[in-house]
Amino acid sequence: MSALDVARLALEAAGGEAEAVAHSERSGLARFAGSEVHQPTLIENVVVTLRVVRGNRVGVATTNKVGDEGLAELVGRAATAAESAPPDESFPGLAPPTRPPDAGGYDEATAALGPDEQARLAAAAIDAAGEIPVYGFFTSAVSELSVASSTGLGVEQRMTDATALVVAAGEGCSGYAERTAWRAEDIDPGAVTREASEKAERTRGAATVDPGVYAAVLEPYAFADLLDYFSHDSLGALGVLEKRSYLSGRLGDAVVDEKITIRDDPVDTHGLPKAFDFEGTPKQPVTLVEHGVARGVVWDRTTAARAQNGATTTGHAGPVESRDWGPLPYCLSVAPGDAESVDELAERVGDGIYITRLHYLGVIDPREGVVTGMTRDGTFRIRDGKIAEPLVNLRFTVSVPDMLRDVYGLTRAASLVNSQNFYGERYPYGVLAPALATARFNITGVGSTPGI
Amino acid sequence: MRELCATAIDVATAAGAEYADARVVVKRDQLVATKNGRVDRMTDSESEGIGVRVLVNGAWGFACDRRLTDEGARNAAQRACTFARAAAGRHSRALAPVEARQGRHESAVERDPFAVSLADKVDLCLRADAALEGGDVIVRQVMVRARREHKILLSSEGTDVEQILTESGAGMDCAAARDGVFQLRSYPSAHVGSSSQAGWEYVDGLRLADEAPRVAEQAAALVRADPCPSGITDVVLDADQVALQVHESVGHPTELDRVYGTEASYAGTSFLKPGDLGSLKYGSEHMNITADPTTPSGLGSFAFDDEGVPAKRTPVVERGCLTGFLTSRETAARIGAGGGGSMRADGWNRMPLVRMTNLHIEPGEGTLDDLLAGVDDGIYMETNRSWSIDDKRLNFQFGTQIAWEIKHGKLGRMLRDATYTGITPEFWGSLDAVAGRDAWQLYGLTNCGKGQPGQSAHVSHGAAPARFRKVQVGVKS
Repeated sequence: MSALDVARLALEAAGGEAEAVAHSERSGLARFAGSEVHQPTLIENVVVTLRVVRGNRVGVATTNKVGDEGLAELVGRAATAAESAPPDESFPGLAPPTRPPDAGGYDEATAALGPDEQARLAAAAIDAAGEIPVYGFFTSAVSELSVASSTGLGVEQRMTDATALVVAAGEGCSGYAERTAWRAEDIDPGAVTREASEKAERTRGAATVDPGVYAAVLEPYAFADLLDYFSHDSLGALGVLEKRSYLSGRLGDAVVDEKITIRDDPVDTHGLPKAFDFEGTPKQPVTLVEHGVARGVVWDRTTAARAQNGATTTGHAGPVESRDWGPLPYCLSVAPGDAESVDELAERVGDGIYITRLHYLGVIDPREGVVTGMTRDGTFRIRDGKIAEPLVNLRFTVSVPDMLRDVYGLTRAASLVNSQNFYGERYPYGVLAPALATARFNITGVGSTPGI
Repeated sequence: MRELCATAIDVATAAGAEYADARVVVKRDQLVATKNGRVDRMTDSESEGIGVRVLVNGAWGFACDRRLTDEGARNAAQRACTFARAAAGRHSRALAPVEARQGRHESAVERDPFAVSLADKVDLCLRADAALEGGDVIVRQVMVRARREHKILLSSEGTDVEQILTESGAGMDCAAARDGVFQLRSYPSAHVGSSSQAGWEYVDGLRLADEAPRVAEQAAALVRADPCPSGITDVVLDADQVALQVHESVGHPTELDRVYGTEASYAGTSFLKPGDLGSLKYGSEHMNITADPTTPSGLGSFAFDDEGVPAKRTPVVERGCLTGFLTSRETAARIGAGGGGSMRADGWNRMPLVRMTNLHIEPGEGTLDDLLAGVDDGIYMETNRSWSIDDKRLNFQFGTQIAWEIKHGKLGRMLRDATYTGITPEFWGSLDAVAGRDAWQLYGLTNCGKGQPGQSAHVSHGAAPARFRKVQVGVKS
């Protein structure tokens, strides 16, 4: 039974004005540590969320019991919720019928991968390790999202995704690499391990630096992570409406370097394409920042209705568990630059710091886009335009817009960096980002040496 | 449900598993949240299924099935064995021996949270929401939640335990903005409010509508407050922030799976080594930390963990010395100490991991005023706002929603954007007082992340205000 079949059954059980979102997952994740698989997890699930509408009262219920009895209970709970809710005059109604484009993002061979193949691909990552042990996982999944509603809407998308992630780590050394794609054949787990291991070898004997503002090169892993955190408060409409977004009151202003263009590009097949959102609205590409000028944010039906400024949905409603954030850009993409490599970016920096990956980010001041965190698994000094000696993990506290205000360049090539940590139901998304060279990256503390 | 677990174990052992356990979990979650006078979210979720964990030739395998049917149980068991056989590596895993237990446990609940109508929950939220209104307040949010988790665990060693755990929780956030300054104030805690393994009496006791005017007043005052200055000074933390400090800088680093590196690819490792047990100086003599899954009303309370190990109170730090780790049966066998008891899974479709249960800092003596009286010039910080710590849990930077300067033992002007930073053992070494039992409170948080695929754990921390000397505060971007 497809996800759309499940959604239609739920809708049929509901009878009246309603919307059903069905989300299925079949995944395998072979997690390894110390070069052996220690947490292999196979998941099969389908979850249906029913939104029942009574006038302008709305109630929501969710279940993974998709038989007749389970769906009847679902309808009962959603109806009770709707009847208990006060009227919501700003409820925008359910999305109209639509026919979203075929966005792609599905690969039959990836969907067919089973536990034996998933374990074999994890083994390929493990076997490529040298003397430094490796920690990480290989995972692949097929997921389906469908939305059906009493307006006649009925849309579905099948998605595949795969990720190989490796931390090569020993006493006093660690390196990181990751590859994500919707086609597993685009991922070479052995190559991921070799990249992480080569990086780890170079981190032995890490030195410290004094806190202060440095020029820096950020690999795509680090840049994507910062952007993802920044986007939650600043690149969605709810953040603007609630005045915690950096873009509140700044739309139309030049906010960062003119080399920076950021879009949400749901149909770019270099990313993890999405055809429609969790309200069933086709996703539109949205230019967020264009040559340094703040152009817009992403919207869903709820925020567009509440704004009362002529805004319309751009198709960015998220899963129910993420609705606290409002609409979010799930297909962030940063326009590449003209540098051939990270080495060329280091040349442009001259003297500074090279950062592979970040850890445990925390937003200190959403209004100014201030984020803190640690560097991890490959931090180096840049001297005389060359990537030089390794550094210990460093604490940084940066305003993301300030970091992007004076940019030396970006690489010509961009990488797809996985942004999901596989909590809840699987919804593959990531950031397509090049490496970045910035004039300002604020180091505010010194941490431990790399490695285990 | 018990029969399905038994079937899964039979199938797994017949397929060659030397050990198997099967958990059936049926979970219901209810959430009502209001924002600015309207219902923002009202959801009622159910999830059920069976998860089967096996050891085949020393390799773990885990698979799950949402169908609570004979076919679902068999399917999960067979797939778990298939994945275990395919797992790469040199496996030789041992489990610390435990006596197979049979039993049943249910949370103590005075008023069933699911018997409280949704309409009453909406009304409670809207009353508190209205009481949050005030000048410069731009976002008012109130939420209440409830969970019931019914789970049965059987193992091939004879474990057969059934538990019904019920949670209730509530909280509110109030955001104010003025002249480009955005500030947030929360009650009773910042992390989706606070929850307890209890009935609706816990939510009633929070008196949200009564607390709301103070919360709104402080949010509005914060947008006019001066930023926290930078410098090295004495700091007094409220119980909420101490709870967060315990969670991040003691709870996670004492998880023995992190010590052995099995979280290296995501949550990180630990600055602790197995050989540090019994000798490492973690902090000052005022630091006493206890893991206690028997704590009444704790979110991490149970009779048996998800390996069937009975709940037991364990000292983790005594008078500043590391004396215990949080363990599974596997990690306990590896270190040769303890017998597990901290394994918890996020529902039926996740593998159990070493998790915090309830981790407390034991109370000292005196009151918050007594702690303040001992500071000539310093900062008092209240309610966590931001948190970040490195992969070994050494270098941290935390921020609070509100602060006040302390001058000559008394609170002075209000400060915003307060942060402090430190290195874990040095910071805990600077602890010179913890307030007494009367100031000790239990906080329940529901967003502790770990594992790949990700798992959220619900844990509680008992904490009292505490004083730290010579702390770096006010880190600037």
